[in-house]
Amino acid sequence: MSRAQLHVLREFFFSQIQGEPIFDHEGKRVGKLLDLAIRWQGEGPPRVTGIKFARGVQSHIPIDQVEEMNQDRIRLAGKLNEEELIPLQDDEIYVGKWLMDKQIIDLKGSKVVRVNDIKLFWIERPDRRYLVPMAVDIGFRGLARRLGVEAFFKRRENQFVWWQYIQHLEEKTAALQLSTDQAKLDELHPADLADLIEDLDYKKRTDFIEDLDVEVAAEAFAEMERDTQIEILEHMNKVQASDLLEEMAPDEAADILGELPEGKADELLNLMEPGEAQEVRQLMVYEDGTAGSLMTTEFIALSPEITVTEAFAQLRRLSQEAETIYYLYLVEEDKTLSGVLSLRELLMAEPGAVLRDLMQTRVIYVFPQESDQEVAQDVNKYNLLAIPVVDEARRMLGIITVDDILEVLIPDRSSLETFASLFVSKRRMK
Amino acid sequence: MGPGIITSNVDNDAGGITTYSVAGAALGYKILWVFIPMIFALVVIQEMCTRMGAVTGKGLADLTRERFGVKITFYAMLGLLLGNLGNIMSEFAGVAASMELFGVSKYVSVPLAALFTWWLVLRWSYKVVERVFLAACLVYFAYIFSGYLAHPEWGMVARELVVPSFSFDNSYLVILVGVIGTTIAPWMQFYIQSAVVEKGITVKDYAYTKYDVIVGSFMVNLVAVFIVISCAATLHVHGIRVDSAKEAALALGPLAGHWASVLFAVGLLNASLFSASILPLSTAYFLCEAFGIEAGVDKSWREAPTFYWLYTILIVVGAGLILLPRINLIEVMFWSQVINGVMLPFVLIFMLILINNRDLMGDYVNNRFYNLITWIIVAIMIILSLLMVATSFWQ
Repeated sequence: MSRAQLHVLREFFFSQIQGEPIFDHEGKRVGKLLDLAIRWQGEGPPRVTGIKFARGVQSHIPIDQVEEMNQDRIRLAGKLNEEELIPLQDDEIYVGKWLMDKQIIDLKGSKVVRVNDIKLFWIERPDRRYLVPMAVDIGFRGLARRLGVEAFFKRRENQFVWWQYIQHLEEKTAALQLSTDQAKLDELHPADLADLIEDLDYKKRTDFIEDLDVEVAAEAFAEMERDTQIEILEHMNKVQASDLLEEMAPDEAADILGELPEGKADELLNLMEPGEAQEVRQLMVYEDGTAGSLMTTEFIALSPEITVTEAFAQLRRLSQEAETIYYLYLVEEDKTLSGVLSLRELLMAEPGAVLRDLMQTRVIYVFPQESDQEVAQDVNKYNLLAIPVVDEARRMLGIITVDDILEVLIPDRSSLETFASLFVSKRRMK
Repeated sequence: MGPGIITSNVDNDAGGITTYSVAGAALGYKILWVFIPMIFALVVIQEMCTRMGAVTGKGLADLTRERFGVKITFYAMLGLLLGNLGNIMSEFAGVAASMELFGVSKYVSVPLAALFTWWLVLRWSYKVVERVFLAACLVYFAYIFSGYLAHPEWGMVARELVVPSFSFDNSYLVILVGVIGTTIAPWMQFYIQSAVVEKGITVKDYAYTKYDVIVGSFMVNLVAVFIVISCAATLHVHGIRVDSAKEAALALGPLAGHWASVLFAVGLLNASLFSASILPLSTAYFLCEAFGIEAGVDKSWREAPTFYWLYTILIVVGAGLILLPRINLIEVMFWSQVINGVMLPFVLIFMLILINNRDLMGDYVNNRFYNLITWIIVAIMIILSLLMVATSFWQ
């Protein structure tokens, strides 16, 4: 059907017609408009299908029996015919009950908003007439309208979210979540999506994540705060939770799982794909006293291809986070460790030199499963300030700094003398 | 530390301390029996809020909006705003009074306190603030010491705690409803439910929250009892009447010793500062939540301007009005108490409607027995609130 044939007869707000009397063709009052039933039909905006016209009556007046509709007048084409009334279908919802005042997702602004009012179009086509909810009003003026003081706020613009940017949240409307809407959610930036999800309450968060494409969900998930992540995982369907963890970087997954109760973490790991789970487990279960448990991932890794000047620029940015900056590890695209450079060597080098030409390729490293004693020996023997930890493929995992090693070998004296001694002496008194 | 304990400690604010001191001075131990039934009522009411928060994952302002629509929410929020503004003013008045006891002018202490609370919340996260003040809550034990230092007759205290006494005397009624009104206030219901939601407490870990509520309700009343005791054992015995916490602290000095007086003042300062940092923030939060405006301290000023402006204005107005030379604090307290009194029945009835809604609560609706108890409590609260409003106008 072409656009030209479509004719908007009236536009008004739901709050303006709710509670208005309904008359039949003879002007006899048959009830009042309590609510509207709407249905989402694949493409295009949702349609109003029927009018709830009396309390306690569960069937509706079909919308095609309505002859005229605006905020002052609702008139039927003929008499109210009991037999033509239709009940609420499974794929329909009441706008008044399930949409007004509820939270929805504004996909365009990518935030959670509250529905203050609903804008309806009364549209005529050659064959029939439609009542279509075109937009939800989320603005201040919509609030003022419902409070009956819109007149004071005429100069304020209405803030609409058009139907195509709306994502429903109520469980009652789950049947209406169409794949097209889902696709739109998937297109949001992960960070935006994460913010959105954090705005939701805990039940909806979980439902919401479960509905998303798992890759998208994992990306958004990684952007969330730790507390939220744990909360979501705890409430999620276990199979889906494990899928989500599989999609994430293993160390992130390990960190999150590490904060879950042990039983729960195990359960999720068992559901994960064995290879992935193995990787995560390895990161998780570095036993106390191994290199893996001592290492930090906050080290400086640079590409061997850059110049000294570029290296300084990157160093300036990275040094805030890094545990130590005296060793710069040169790491290939695939994360394998190919060399090391001390800060002193970098300072003394020509600005234009490429790091690959400067670096030392004989690097001393340890594996994560080595004991802290072995690490200490290496550090001592080679006079290192820090030692890199790599896996079997020589991929860089992290570093262990000399002070961490010292802490293992010589427990912190001052703390021994204060807090710990209290407990020790108490125990001795027994 | 859960929402129940935090809410209770915000509840022991300047207004509360004032009311308890006045009550203790005027009525002596005779008012003590009120506190045991009050623990019970507080537990029942707060339990419902925490249950709603845990099951629905939504705040009370949210649920009110979704179930009762814009108009009712608007008036409820207006009431909450005005009532809380009154409360905020009384917190800053508490700061002024307690610092004056240490010889600091209110023109110095109030702006500093306002700046401090405003900055604290913006600079640090809400959680940090909460923790700092929870630690400071240990200061509430000051009142217990203060009560102890006053050398009360413990036998009498024990008897009056369990034996109810009642009088239809006008001034007795005013104080009675005042004590109950200040302990069970409308903002609490909103606050505790939001706290449950914010903490991500769900139906699963809800059982702990119940104990948290019980402990919290017990704490707030324990502190109240000791404030009453310290005033009853000293001021009431000597026939001294007071109108404010400051007068009470001053009057305590000669009777119970300098330290009782100092402890009393320190407790008042801590309570005032704690509530002054939490009330404006939570008020701004509820309002924004109900009307779908971006809110939260994790948002930037640019993202949530309405929220931050509301927060700032509440502090500036609350603290600013205290500094006006001619402000009649008693008048302000009076109106804030009236607004709170009028609002409470509505809030309680909304709660009961919401908690019995199966669409929302599923199997977690009240059972019949619980409903009976809650309706009785609500009925008593309604009668008392109406009495409070009525007696307020008598005076």
